[in-house]
Parts: sequence; C-alpha cells; structure tokens
Amino acid sequence: MIDKSKLKDYANKLMFDMEDSEYETLQEEFDVILKQMELIGKIPNISSVEPMTFPYKNEDVDLREDEVRDYLTVGEVLDNTKYQVNDQVKVPKVVE
Amino acid sequence: MYRGKSITELRELLDKEELTSEELFDKAKKLAYAFQEDYNSFVTIMDDYKIKRRSDSLIKGIPYALKDNFSTNGILTTSSSNILKDYVPVYDATIYKKLRKAGGVLVGKTVLDELAMGGTGTTAHTGVVKNPWNKTCMTGGSSAGSAAAVALGIVPFSIGSDTGDSIRKPASFCGVVGYKPTYGLISRYGLFAFASSLDHVGVLSRNVKDSAIVTDIIKGKDINDMVTINYDKNLVESLDNDIKGKKLFYIKEICDKSQYTDKDTLKVLDDFYKLLDKCRELGFIVEEVSIDKALLEAVYPTYMTISCAEATSNNSNLTGIQFGPRGEGNSVEEIMFDARTKGFSELIKRRFVLGSYILQKENQEKLFLNACRVRRLIVDKMNELFKDYDGMILPASGGGAPSFDDSSEKLSSKYLLLENHLAIGNFGGFPSITIPFTFSNDMPVGVNITGRVKDDDLVLNMANKIESVTGYKDIYSKVGDIDV
Repeated sequence: MIDKSKLKDYANKLMFDMEDSEYETLQEEFDVILKQMELIGKIPNISSVEPMTFPYKNEDVDLREDEVRDYLTVGEVLDNTKYQVNDQVKVPKVVE
Repeated sequence: MYRGKSITELRELLDKEELTSEELFDKAKKLAYAFQEDYNSFVTIMDDYKIKRRSDSLIKGIPYALKDNFSTNGILTTSSSNILKDYVPVYDATIYKKLRKAGGVLVGKTVLDELAMGGTGTTAHTGVVKNPWNKTCMTGGSSAGSAAAVALGIVPFSIGSDTGDSIRKPASFCGVVGYKPTYGLISRYGLFAFASSLDHVGVLSRNVKDSAIVTDIIKGKDINDMVTINYDKNLVESLDNDIKGKKLFYIKEICDKSQYTDKDTLKVLDDFYKLLDKCRELGFIVEEVSIDKALLEAVYPTYMTISCAEATSNNSNLTGIQFGPRGEGNSVEEIMFDARTKGFSELIKRRFVLGSYILQKENQEKLFLNACRVRRLIVDKMNELFKDYDGMILPASGGGAPSFDDSSEKLSSKYLLLENHLAIGNFGGFPSITIPFTFSNDMPVGVNITGRVKDDDLVLNMANKIESVTGYKDIYSKVGDIDV
C-alpha cells in the first residue's frame, strides 16, 4: 500500500492539503487505481511506440497575423477580486 | 404546448406567430423553476429575456441551456465548484457568442460534476442532479444538468463538454441525444479546461436533427482556439443521405453476452443485437470485429492517467488570488494553499493527487508516457478499422442509470470495457453520438455511433437513419405532468 506521507507530499506539491481520513480513503483508492494502471504496462513492446499527445494530425493550422486585438481592460481583470491597490491585485508582501 | 418540443417544432410556432420568443423563454423558465427543487439541473436560471433580433437562424428565439463551465460575461459561472462559487466572468466563450448572435435565448447555466471531473452528477457544490426518469438514480456526468434539462423537456437543446464521455454517457442515462463532434470542430475558447488534449464541446438534444442544426451554427475555426478546424460541410443537409452499403462494426470483446451475468446488461445486449438487425434492414452492413482485449482493458486507466495529469496543470490557475474566495495566510503561498484546500472537494483533490503522482519524475515514463503510447495504439487500431468501416456501433452503457446507492456487480472490473469505451472517441478526436435505443428496468439506455475524424456529416447521417427505427426519437420524461 502506498505510504500516506507520500500522498500528502503529492497533494502539497499541488498547493492543497486533505484531512487525515481523506488520505486513508485515498490510500485504498490508490490500491485499486494502481492495479488498473498495471494494465497499461501489460501491452507488449509498448516502449517502442511514440507517445500521442494530440488526437490527430491537424494540418489546418496557420500562424495568425501580428495584429493588435482587444483584450481585457485593467478594470475587467480586477472585477473578481476585492483586494486591489493602484490598479493591481493586492497580495501579502513578497520581498521582506 | 411548449414542453418537449423540438427546435423545428418551436421554429414553426414562432414563424406562424402562435407564440413569441419571449413567451417561449417564460415557459422554459417556468419549467426550470418547477423542476429545480426535485432535479437540480441549474446553477443559475436567467431572470431576463435577452435576444439578438437581427438573425435568420433556425434557433432565433429558441431557449437553450449552457453548462456552467462556459464563460459568460456578467453571468455567474461556477464550474460547480466552491473555488469559483462567486466568479462572474468578464468575457464570453465563443460558442455563447455564436449562439447569442444566432438569436438563441439562454435560459440557464447547468450543474456539472465539479470542474467537469466526474461521471455521476453527484459532486457539484450546489448538490446532486437527479435523473428525470427516476429520482433515485444518477444522471451520469459531467454534463449532468445539461442532460437533465433536455430530458425534462425544459429546453430543446443544451451545450455540454466531453473529455471522456461527459456528454454521451449522461445522454444514455437520461434518454437524450448526446453528440461530441470531431476534436476542434467547435471552439473551446471560454470553456474551463479539464484535459486539453481530450476536451471537446458538444450538444445534447432530443433528436439527431436538432444536434445537427445547433452544430452547424457553432462549428468552425476560431482564432482563440488554435486546434479548431474549418468545416464547410452542412450537417443538416447530410442527414437524409442514402446509407445503403455503409459498413458498421461492433466489438466482440465488449458485446459478447457470455461474459456477463447481470440481467440488466443481458437485456441491453439482447436489444442491441435486435437493433443491429434493424440496421441491416435499413441497408447497413454490420459486422463483428475482434480487438486485443489487453488494449481495450487499457482504455480506462489510459484515460484516467492522461486526464488527471493534464487536469493538474490546467487547474493551477485556481489560486483564489485574481478570482475566487481569498484564502488566509501571511504569504502568497499560504493564501493560495488555504484557498485550494478549502475550495476543492475531496473527490477533486483525489484526482489531483493521482495526477501529481503520475507526473512525478519516477512515474512519468512508466505511467504518463506509456498511457500516451497506449492512446496511439488504440487510435491506430480504430483508424485501421475505419479504412474498412464507416463507423463503430456499441451500447453506450451496459444498463440504465445506476441508483445513488448502487452496489451492483456492474461496478466490478468485468464491466470495465462496456462502461468505459466511450473515451476512445476522445483519444482520437472521433465524432461520436449517443441516441436512446431501449429501456431497461424502466430506465433509458443509449447506443453510440462513432466514425472517422471529420466524417461528422456521415456519423450524423447514420445516427439519423438509426434513430428512425429505435422508436425512441423525441422522448422526454413527462414527470410532474406539467405543460406550459
């Protein structure tokens, strides 16, 4: 069974944490998932295949023209946060 | 008068001036509110009727619903997650712009599985979506509310997104049509990304023609989504083409009855084979093919591996800093950590941890890259079959929607292939449509037709012909006995 501290480390790397009981559920789930993952490795000569990262070869791609386009205004960007100062999003001091 | 009517029927009512589009909106809104407490299809129901008057589109004045993971300027868009519970976008998704320009009238934003990462309709921050045919059953997901709103007859069509089967599975469970076109046919600009190499936008409706009408309006290249393609073929005009001699295959390893014991599944397969006979009567050539079982069994883990890995990076913008509830802490890292800890539900966190595990340096080769390699093998196999065949036909699921406390054997590994094959359509970007074809235990079940990339016209043409012999065209749940 996968170590709980490792699961916590994986979660923390993605900037969140979970309750202890949730890690226990996840530990059990990982057992099932890792068994399913083994099915991937069972395919013969898999390492010689080129990994696929796009559904099909798309030849319909053009470089766009270098034209000025309308983007969001500063006001629009700040619309969803109440923490603002000098037209910027306010966060705790970064440099001590 | 309104409930359950198709786009074509509503168009006729509007053109004959028997009803105005504002009246249609009021009726849809009334139905949306009437069913909200029991079925929970919507995150937001629109207060105001808004229409672009200068349009000659078939959907001008027709009400529709949009999944709540599409950006709508000035309208709450939550992706059914606490981390976006108050988020009001400042720009429009391309499809919302196109539908508005065509005169479509937005009735509401529909509930999804949180951040579109789920297949049950049970994980939204606003609660569980219930199946219109039986409230004790799931709708499937993640386009849960979009499927329920169409199945309840509230709107003739809705928009969903589909990364593994998120349109086509809830369509099967709710007895509606669910169409995921070729990858790139519809712009994803403004869709909150889940797994970019698998994400598609699509349509749910009560018949194939309505899905074709809507897709003709929203398809096409978009400068804001670089994977979009030009697609000049008219889908509606292709619907009635002759299909005599068109070749379909089904997969032996998935449809062989001898491997199953569940009565519901056996009934679905019996009905599936009867449907194949009807297809032959229509003029289709239908044959059984065999695919290496090891490859098929790898479909689900391959999907989980790729989607969870891509999801971890796509959702890294959810920090609670520029938008979303601000976390507590003394540094940027601390407030981000707190916002994400509080904002994501347990299920989403579990998927993210899995994605994080897959992307650890020591696992990248063994898990992530191998999954991408299996993806290629599966897609190559499909493309090889599509040289001889025009499409693949399979039951979309091995039974009706599961109940909320389902503990049947259908959840066991024996049913892994039958319940998870739809992700093949996402791996290769193949056009894929589910239409209702039978009932089992009083719950609808869909059949899926998948075809070659960019052959959307043929896939919808074949689905339209098959729909004519299922006996389940235009169905919806008449629950509540309400019409408006």
